Amino acid sequence: MASDRPIREAENRLEKFNADRERLLSEVERRVVARRVAEARAGGDASLEYVLNDVVYCEIKRLESSGGKNGATDRWRDLSRRLLGMTEDDKREELRGLVRHYGKDVVGNFDPRVYRFATGIGPSLLGFLFSPTSSIKEGLSSLRNLDAHIHADGAIDAARACAERGTIVVTPTHSSNMDSPAIGLGLLRAGLPPTTYGAGKNLFSNPFISFFMRNLGAYRVDRRLKFELYKDVLKEYSTVLLEHGYHSLFFPGGTRCRSNIVERNLKLGLLGTTVTAYKNNVREGAPNKRVYIVPATINYRLVLEAETLIDDYLAETGKSRYIITDDEFSRLGRILEFFRKILVHEGSVVVRFGQPLDPFGNDVTDEGESVDRAGRTVDPASFVRGANGEVTDDDQRDAEYTRALGRRLATAYPRLTVFHSTNLVARALFDAIAQAAGTRDIYRLLRAPHGQLAIDEATAIDNLVRLRARLGAHPEWGSEHPNYLLQSAADKLADGMHGLSSYHTHPAVERTGKNLQVRDVKLLYYYQNRTAHIPAEASS
Amino acid sequence: MTARADTVGIVGAGQFGTALGSVLARAGRRVVLFSRDAAVVGAIQETRSSPRLLGAPLGPALEATADLRRLAAECRFLVLAVTSTDVVARARELGDVLDGSHIVVHAIGGLVVPSGGPGESARGQRVSEVMAQGLPTLKLGVIAGPALPADLCENHYSSMVVASAFDEVVHEGRRLLNAPPGLRVYSSKDLIGVELASALAGAYTVALGLCDGLGMSAGPRAVLVTRAVAEASRFGVAAGAEARTFAGLAGLGNLLVRASGDRSADYLLGRRLADGAAADAARTEGARAAMTALELAKALRVRMPVLQGVAAVLAGKVDPRDAVQMVGDTVALEE
Repeated sequence: MASDRPIREAENRLEKFNADRERLLSEVERRVVARRVAEARAGGDASLEYVLNDVVYCEIKRLESSGGKNGATDRWRDLSRRLLGMTEDDKREELRGLVRHYGKDVVGNFDPRVYRFATGIGPSLLGFLFSPTSSIKEGLSSLRNLDAHIHADGAIDAARACAERGTIVVTPTHSSNMDSPAIGLGLLRAGLPPTTYGAGKNLFSNPFISFFMRNLGAYRVDRRLKFELYKDVLKEYSTVLLEHGYHSLFFPGGTRCRSNIVERNLKLGLLGTTVTAYKNNVREGAPNKRVYIVPATINYRLVLEAETLIDDYLAETGKSRYIITDDEFSRLGRILEFFRKILVHEGSVVVRFGQPLDPFGNDVTDEGESVDRAGRTVDPASFVRGANGEVTDDDQRDAEYTRALGRRLATAYPRLTVFHSTNLVARALFDAIAQAAGTRDIYRLLRAPHGQLAIDEATAIDNLVRLRARLGAHPEWGSEHPNYLLQSAADKLADGMHGLSSYHTHPAVERTGKNLQVRDVKLLYYYQNRTAHIPAEASS
Repeated sequence: MTARADTVGIVGAGQFGTALGSVLARAGRRVVLFSRDAAVVGAIQETRSSPRLLGAPLGPALEATADLRRLAAECRFLVLAVTSTDVVARARELGDVLDGSHIVVHAIGGLVVPSGGPGESARGQRVSEVMAQGLPTLKLGVIAGPALPADLCENHYSSMVVASAFDEVVHEGRRLLNAPPGLRVYSSKDLIGVELASALAGAYTVALGLCDGLGMSAGPRAVLVTRAVAEASRFGVAAGAEARTFAGLAGLGNLLVRASGDRSADYLLGRRLADGAAADAARTEGARAAMTALELAKALRVRMPVLQGVAAVLAGKVDPRDAVQMVGDTVALEE
């Protein structure tokens, strides 16, 4: 529930980040090199020659496929040639250099002045951020009160207690490139400290956005770098950050969810570093230096990139387009338009925080203690200890713990989902056209005749009333937007219709006399997908 | 390795728990056997024999206790060997004294239907799912296979398979439970498969008892065995298991040993039903598993004619001879 404690109470540990940065980088370098050198003794795929060759091969392949400048691959071809004549000491030094190189590429920065500026003028900043020079005035005027439109609620007190006692890792759902600023403002409104987070390198291409991201704790994740050494550096950096008490943010779903379905199959990615970091704390004799995972959902009334994302999801090539660079996020006009449209509505974005978990998927009390499924207090350190209390290393065990944590997160997300009128109306209308067509298969519905896509208003309202009643009876499915619980079905329908018809290039649905005509089945599908975990009425 | 790391704790001094303790202690492994029954504990400590399994040699490496805290303190690796009807309560008690470092494998060839109390699902669950609700540790596994208590006590060649999602559980299971020649332990990652195969083997053992009780010949018996394994595999795959597990030690191996001779309660129940005894679906582990697995199969939309036939007889809905005819007809139609 919303807290009445003063905001910004939790310590902003990122204030000391810059002073720490070199030490963190050195620690990453020391650990990665030591581990790789130790593993190299086994020879074969673990040998330093193999590791360096893997980097060379992947870098050349990446540069050639991206059509880089002449000579872009020279450095790597040169290394490839030199490798054969290198001694083990030479290889170790080369490895050290590469680890430092990638570490510097990853590492973030935190400028307290930029943070104070950003949080001081808050939302107006976003207008500045997302406005081209000629539109600054327009952006500032329309976005002055943006933070009033970000609503934060849920288990805020528990998250704050955990942030004061240990290190928190906020793990939100991911549906838009707007998630980073949205969760940033959500944390601020909840009185939670700012976090560092990994952001795709493609998001740094906009110089304005890049400036703020670089100075507010974001570190760069280059998804094009597929080799193991880079992943090692990235994971170690995350681990070291957590060990040093820097609150972090991961998107366990990986990339943005294309379908808008509440994420179930989590990629986990950096989440495993929570187990490693906590294990290292225990090994260092600090078992009470806890690491907590705070599930969260980011719920939009309208999603900036909805059209591109659902197109990508439905297209056969969807899976191959992992990094989309030509979506609405790359068009500043669309971003401005998006903000203008969502500003019409109070609480257009709801960030809901869930009860924290420990790295092993155990629930955590408001006091920061781990409890097992039966409600007993349990010592989290015991999960990484062996028969005699010694801390043991077991990558497979830790990966299994992370999977267990992922399952708990996937279970938590539906309950934390907040439905806007756009989601509920889309679901009510989708149910109606699915009933008329006798199928919920989207590919069949995309080919449905015009007449089958017309719904009379009374049917839509009936569907909406029943959907809201079912939702009220099943809190595990999520809940309606808290500000609009008392809204009548007719008002909810009108509100949802307005949202679905006003922002996107083409309206998803339009009113034609007494009928509601679906114009864009894909968009309707996208918005109703947020409710996809709610079973169809007949089978519920 | 220390004494604690090398000690096996067994929860449940019934026939299997005692026999397992016997074969391990004979191989030199330190064993702490827990029983809630002070008389059983006293008898073992004083006479080196158990009233629950007379004739089982219980060497000095085996100690009995009624103290769960002692068990948890002295053993990191535990085997839960109780009936499926006791799992919920025993797991809760055990959970009070364990922590995240313990490893618990169960040896229960059944499924569990929780009472449906607050926070409990009323649908049938695998034993490890129930254990996960009651125990603090995540390192859970199962041990199953064609190892009857009598064989273990007499040091006959027996084999079992230990399965878990955690390599550490499998590794420790093999290290601590391997006691050749009396017991050899294989490994598997297919926790779901081994649990389901073992539970279904009990259910099909009832079917084979029926089959033998009705005096059917070797041909129909072979058909029953192969079709049972086939439908169990389909069920397992739908539940997330690997098909091949059902033809392994926990599935086919278990079925063959339980349905040979008169040493299995499930088999004897089937024979009695064939002789006209009153149906009682809750009488044995296999009978309970048949009823619960059928509900799960319906939820997973898997047709299981053999299981359906067994369950119908156990529920008293169908005469055993009619059931055999029905199963034969349906299986032929299905496949």
